[in-house]
Parts: sequence; structure tokens; C-alpha cells
Amino acid sequence: MANIHDNPNRDAWVKKIAAANTLANGVKLLTDFRAKHLSPFKTDFSLELDGQWIELKIEEKVALLKHKEFNDTQFLNNSATGENAQKVADAAVAKINATTDMYEAERIHINFRLANKPPILPVNVFLDADRQLGTKLMELRNTDYYALPLEELRKVRGVKVITLQ
Amino acid sequence: MAISTATKAATDALAVNRAPVSVGAQEVHRWLQSFTWDFDKNRTKYSTKYKMANDTKEQFKLIAKEYARMESVKDERQFGSLQDVLTRVDAANRVHPKWNESMKVISNFLEVGEYNAIAATGMLWDSATAPEQKNGYLGQVMDEIRHTNQCGYINYYFAKQGQDAAGHNDARRTRAIGPLWKGMKRVFSDGFISGDAVECSINLQLVGEACFTNPLIVAVTEWASANGDEMTPTVFLSIETDELRHMANGYQTVVSIANDEAASKYLNTDLNNAFWTQQKYFTPVLGMMFEYGSHFKVEPWVKTWNRWVYEDWGGIWIGRLGKYGVESPASLRDAKKDAYWAHHDLFLLAYALWPTGFFRLTLPTAEEAEWYEANYPGWYDMYGKVYEEWRARGCEDPSSGFLPLQWFAENNHPIYIDRVSQVPFCPSYSKGASTLRVLEYNGKKHSFSDQWGERMWLSEPERYECQNIFEQYEGRELSEVIAEGHGLRSDGKTLISQPHTNKDGKLWTLDDIKKIGCVFADPLKAL
Ligand SMILES: [Fe+2]
Ligand SMILES: [Fe+2]
Repeated sequence: MANIHDNPNRDAWVKKIAAANTLANGVKLLTDFRAKHLSPFKTDFSLELDGQWIELKIEEKVALLKHKEFNDTQFLNNSATGENAQKVADAAVAKINATTDMYEAERIHINFRLANKPPILPVNVFLDADRQLGTKLMELRNTDYYALPLEELRKVRGVKVITLQ
Repeated sequence: MAISTATKAATDALAVNRAPVSVGAQEVHRWLQSFTWDFDKNRTKYSTKYKMANDTKEQFKLIAKEYARMESVKDERQFGSLQDVLTRVDAANRVHPKWNESMKVISNFLEVGEYNAIAATGMLWDSATAPEQKNGYLGQVMDEIRHTNQCGYINYYFAKQGQDAAGHNDARRTRAIGPLWKGMKRVFSDGFISGDAVECSINLQLVGEACFTNPLIVAVTEWASANGDEMTPTVFLSIETDELRHMANGYQTVVSIANDEAASKYLNTDLNNAFWTQQKYFTPVLGMMFEYGSHFKVEPWVKTWNRWVYEDWGGIWIGRLGKYGVESPASLRDAKKDAYWAHHDLFLLAYALWPTGFFRLTLPTAEEAEWYEANYPGWYDMYGKVYEEWRARGCEDPSSGFLPLQWFAENNHPIYIDRVSQVPFCPSYSKGASTLRVLEYNGKKHSFSDQWGERMWLSEPERYECQNIFEQYEGRELSEVIAEGHGLRSDGKTLISQPHTNKDGKLWTLDDIKKIGCVFADPLKAL
């Protein structure tokens, strides 16, 4: 019986992950991977089945590299990119608070997650920013929720209609 | 050592409000009310569009100690009956075999709902600011822990004392293959714990508990007893005694936000989406479990549905909340249309997909076919004659080489899965209200079966990314997938699921499936 946790896709990534030996390498590998394979805006569906497992393995590696390269103060206060964590979070919150467009807010929130989900930012900083971004996004999305008929909503979302019965 | 701000606040409060000398419950409760918490600095961890008022009351006014005494009495009665009298009269072997299978699904699935309800009410405890309201949610956290254990215990009891343990034990290991699991996770898991905290309360308490626990936990006990099952009423009615508190909590959630202007902007949208989310799965699945998973019928599902969902909930309960601006959901009318045929449509697919389950299904007998036709005129021409054809082709017999899934392929009736609810549907062979809608987004196709779900996806597509089994296993052979997904009994070759409950009938093995050469295909690729 096949082991459901092993397949050539995953094996290839396990090797790439092993090769990342500095925090900077690890961070780049992780954020590039998320943007290409896990973004809700992605156009590459080649890792639909294995993407989350691979992401988890890269995150494990980044967490270890962060532990190795950071001292305690850096570990609690910095993003894995080296920036001040609270500043990164505050910038995203300020940006979303400045918009009234739900589609722009959606991009701000989603891109914040792709770039900063732990272990990139420390959990305490990330979650509180995520709560504020989520609150704002939900407020925009849920205002006049039924304003557009479906035909127009499809256009705004940018979908192609294949079948309508 | 420095004490935390919270510890200091508690110590200061105790200095002002001396603890009562007696342990009288109401006195202790009054004393608890005298605590006020400063929520400017103590904010919730969860996102919400609403502000819960700081002075919300709660009706039960139970303190933890009083609660524990009450629940321990309920537990004594329940476990006492199960372990003593019901075991002595061999109750688990008196259950009709068809109903034995239904309880594999009902109790294992409800356990997931109870487990997520623990998390949901913990989240609400964190989100509320009024001490009494928090206390109400806390009571519910404890209830839901109890219910998780109770549901697990039902399957444990059936597995240990009763007939055909496979599927009562360890059902969850099959979760990757069965198409019913993912929809169940939508209602019982995502719906309760993801998104806005108040929206979660609406899903769990205002819809899940106030609307669907009546058919789910009360009606199920009638069907159980009619089919010889005394264990399920013993446990589920004990669960239901706690649900009043949960419905009251849902009511108080609405009261707590009623004066916030956000409520008029968002509340009815959240309610409509929550109702549609819950009903889209429960309406067909409960109807299917009751009618097709029983031998002795209580009443047609459409009647139960109209009484509990449409009149009792949609009319009376929601009517009572009218003074807080709550309106009956716009999707209720579409749901009513589905309550007549949707469960018949679903059973046709569930039976066809039987090898992917963790329970045994049974085709309607001639006597049952008469009951269906009498209560749902037109049933025979649509469903009855298909079951006759399948039976004639030997769908129950492992040597026939026939899986009903082949019938759908032969007759060009593709089966799709709704991205939002994860409920399978067959648009070219159904009598329910589902309509096929396929949209392509960034190069990937998504199918939907109704306007409400389509709008939910268009508004928040990243919430509904779950792959369905056709995408997940595309190109792979069925027996391989079953083996990989742990769908086998302890002998390592017989399937847990079977297409009959006939004691003398032969059981299907992995080899019987393999011989057929059934390969998963994604119907969206053909469009
Ligand atoms: Fe419960
Ligand atoms: Fe409950």
C-alpha cells in the first residue's frame, strides 16, 4: 500500500528545503513558495494536492534557522526578514484602514498573510494584526452585500462563466 | 516576584467585594456580577464586525459548582441505564441493522460538531465583554465537552455491545475518501469556528442549535426508538437538555449586539448565509439518514422539516428576534423547495458512491418503495425504477462486477460537487432545486449548485478552497484509493462499507472493486 505522505513532488521539495542553510535563504524559499502555490490569487495549480504539506516543511525549517541565527531580543521583536515586527504589522493595518475598496483590502490582507504568517513574524504580533485586518475586510465585504446582481458580481470578481443552467 | 495585571486586578476586586460566606448559588452568582472587567486593555483575540454590549444578561445564572452537580446527575442516569439495564437486555443487538449503520454516521459526525462547538463557545467567551454573558458561554463550553464524550460513547457502546463494529469504531480514519465528510466539516467545523466571531455564534447557536438540533437531536430519538434503538434516545435526550442554554446563548448574542449600528448593517446577511450553510447540508443529509437509514418510518422528512425548520424556527423563533431587527432569511423559501426532494437525490448518489463510505447502505425494499411513493408522489418513476435496475444488475453481489456509479457514466449523468457546501449533486438526474453553475477563476473551474452559495464564493473565494474527491483522486483507481484511505476492515481486505445489510449476503473485498477498474475522473475537466 502506498504511503500517502510520500510522493515525488514532496521528495523533490524535501531536498530543496534541506539545501536552505541560512535564514535569508529560508525566508525567500517560504515567501516565494506561498506566493506561487498557496495564494488565493495563484494561477499555478501544480501543487494543489501537496502544497500545504510542503509549506509546513519549509516553515519548520525557517523556524529552526530563526532560532539558530536570532538572539532572544531579535526572536521576540523582529520579523525573520530582520525588520521590526511591530512596524511591519502597523504598516499593513494603516494601509487597510486607508482604503474603502473591498478588493484592495482583500489584497492587503491576503498578501500580509502570505508574506508574514509565522514563523516570519512572531505569533503575538502576527495574530493581533491579522485580527485587525480581518475585521476591516469583513466590514467592507459585508456592507451592501447584496448590492450587485450575480451577473455583475461575476464580472467584478473576474470569473469566466463556463456553464449556467 | 511581580504579579500580572490580571492577578492584581482580581486581588483588588476581592478586597472590595468580599466573597460570600454561604455557598448559595444565587448569592455566589450575585457576587460574580459585582466584578467588572476593564476591556479597553483586555481586547478579544478574534475578528468581529460587531460590538457586544458590556451589560448583557444571561438567563440561566448558573455557577460552575451548581452546574457540575446537575450534570453529574444526568451522567449517572445515562451511563447507569446504558451499562446496567440496556446491556442486560442486550439492547444493542435489538437495533434494526439498517439503523445500526445510520448511527455510525450520525453519532460520529455529531461528535465533530460538538468538538467544534467547544472551540466556538470558547471563542465567544473571549469575544464577549459582559461577565454574565461570558458565564453563559462558559457553561456551554463545559456542555460541549460533555457532548463530545457522549457522542463518542454511543459509537463505543455500539461497537462493543452490538452488531458490525466496523465504522462505529475509528470512523475518522476514512475522512479523506467519503464525500459526506467534507460537507459535514463545512457545517460542523468551518461554520462554527471560522470568520467573524458573531457570525460563528449565528451559525452555531442561532441556526445550528435553535433550528437543526430539533430535527437532529430530538427527531433522531423518535426514529431510533422506532427502529429498536434505546441507546440513542438515552444519550441524545440527555444532550438536548443542555441545548436550551445554547439557544438562550444565541439569543443573548443577538441581544448584546442589537444596539450596535453594525447589527443593522450586517446581521441579516450573516444570518442568511449561516442558514443557507447549515441547511444546504442538513436538509438532505438528515432526511436521507432518517428515511433511507431506517426500516420503520416515523413520518416523512418534509413534515418534520416544515414543523421544526420552517414554522418553529423560521416563524416563531426568528419572529421573537424581530424586535432586534432580525428578519427571516431570504433563502428560507429556496430551502423549503429542497426539503421535498433533496434527500432523495442525495441517497441516489450516496448509494452509487457506497465504496467510499464507512457504513453499509441498503436499497429500499418493495414495502418501503410503497411508502415513498405514497408520501412523495413521483418517487418511483425517478428513483424507484433506478434502484430496481441496479438490483437486477446485481449491485449488492460482489461477483456481479457492477457498481451503480457505472450507471451514471453509462447514462451520461455526471456528478458534480458544490464548492461551497461540498455536497454532491447530479444536475441532469435530480428533482431537487439544484442548478449547475460552473465558473473559471484564474484558470481553475469551480462548480456550484445554487445562487446563495455562488454569491458566498464570489464574495469570499479564499474561504472555500477545499478540493473535492474528484479533484483529489483524479486518474486513480478506486480500490487503491480505498486502501490508502483506510477503508478496510481488520482483515485488511473486506471493505468497511457495503451495499447491503443482508446477514447472508456476501461482503465486497478490495479485489472485487479492483476487478471493475473504476477510475476517478473530474467532471469539470470535460467542460
Ligand atoms: Fe452540544
Ligand atoms: Fe450545543
